[in-house]
Amino acid sequence: MIEILETGPFNTVQDLGRPGYRDIGVSASGAMDSLAVRIGNSLVGNDEGAAVLEIQTFPFRLHFTDRTVFAVTGTDGNPVLDGIELPAWCAFTAEAGQILELRQPPKLARAYVCVAGGVDVPSVMGSRSTSLRGGFGGYAGRPLEKGDQITVGAASTNIPLPASGLAVVEPSIALQDVVPASPDGTLLIRALPAGEHGLFADDGKAFWDQTWRISSRSDRTGYRLSGDAIVPTQTVEMRSHGVVPGVIQVPPGGEPIVQMSDANTAGGYPKIAGVIECDLWRLGQARIGSRVQFVRSSHAEARAVEKAVERYIADLRQTIPMVKRALKAMA
Amino acid sequence: MSAIDFSDPKTIAFLTEALTAAGVDGLEISSASGNLRIVVSGGESHVSHGVKASSKPAVIKAPMAGIFQPRNSASADLPHAVAAADVLGFLRVGDVLVPLQAGHSGVLNRRLIEPGTLVGFGDALFEIEAQS
Repeated sequence: MIEILETGPFNTVQDLGRPGYRDIGVSASGAMDSLAVRIGNSLVGNDEGAAVLEIQTFPFRLHFTDRTVFAVTGTDGNPVLDGIELPAWCAFTAEAGQILELRQPPKLARAYVCVAGGVDVPSVMGSRSTSLRGGFGGYAGRPLEKGDQITVGAASTNIPLPASGLAVVEPSIALQDVVPASPDGTLLIRALPAGEHGLFADDGKAFWDQTWRISSRSDRTGYRLSGDAIVPTQTVEMRSHGVVPGVIQVPPGGEPIVQMSDANTAGGYPKIAGVIECDLWRLGQARIGSRVQFVRSSHAEARAVEKAVERYIADLRQTIPMVKRALKAMA
Repeated sequence: MSAIDFSDPKTIAFLTEALTAAGVDGLEISSASGNLRIVVSGGESHVSHGVKASSKPAVIKAPMAGIFQPRNSASADLPHAVAAADVLGFLRVGDVLVPLQAGHSGVLNRRLIEPGTLVGFGDALFEIEAQS
């Protein structure tokens, strides 16, 4: 069991989401940084999609009532177990009674607490993610609160975690060859022109060329961007149509909205672009107030990045048990 | 894994034969009961046994083969105090990192291996002096 000792608002149980129900108005939900969830679960011996805690407001403290294998991923900060700073992206064994504390990450937005066996909340429509708008899924369909007692599933016991723990080279380093970086720290996010791209002058130059700021009116549903307004060359009346995470819409005010994990299921604003799926986790870690620029990508590039990410995960899922077995044999 | 008796001459003879056949120069095995070291040189082998003695400064050894990577905090300003649970560095195997915990509280005196070096099982990595 995990007991929540301290939490800010909007920290929730998430997994890889609930796709397939947009037609009945159910958002996909799921972790904003899905890569951190897949890696954290791989470290603690779970299936990639086991439910975890998504922490986006800090400080956050929890108490392990039993001996628990856990990993904190996603964050660029160090989790603290009983006062000792530990590396993130590393699985450890917490003893019964130990307290885990997460502080505000230095630069990134979110941390994920993954536990061996997964967070055991009921699966609703194939997912344990919290749907805040629907008020279902996750822990009682709501954000975590102080005093919540969360059950942990039964951990697979085939290969034990080494006593000193086990870590990974975090994706921002392991995947740096396929992740663009700008010298001034602006987050570069790759996107493809979308349905109404042609409505914007000069091939969408104003959209692609400027640096946007993620406004304070941003959340898991969408990021609103601040900058010089962009307007279509003609006003079009559009019917509402399906929307997925990553879609960048331009409402009449001219400041784009990027749909995120809790994306609306339908919308009628013109779509100028769509973020490639393999950059969504990077955007999901961008904080309010940070700067982002969109880089025009291609389907071929998006596919190549996707393959590199899948190779990295596949290697981890193969190497982690191998290293565990080797350390067990030599212990 | 069931315990293998490395002091059994039959085991040593078997390992020596296997090493010779594989063209491997030598082998070192450390276990709770002691160390076994076989060096194959020009058709003859030298076997030496050592009994583990608890030496004064604790030495953190590599738990398996990997590329040695100290954690930033562990390489700066030596010597400095460490707690038993502190992670001093990692051994890198592909994109997986094996944490190297201090295991003892004390003063981290020395880092014995250059960052980025490929180390083998049992190689000494850090020296920690117990706090008196």
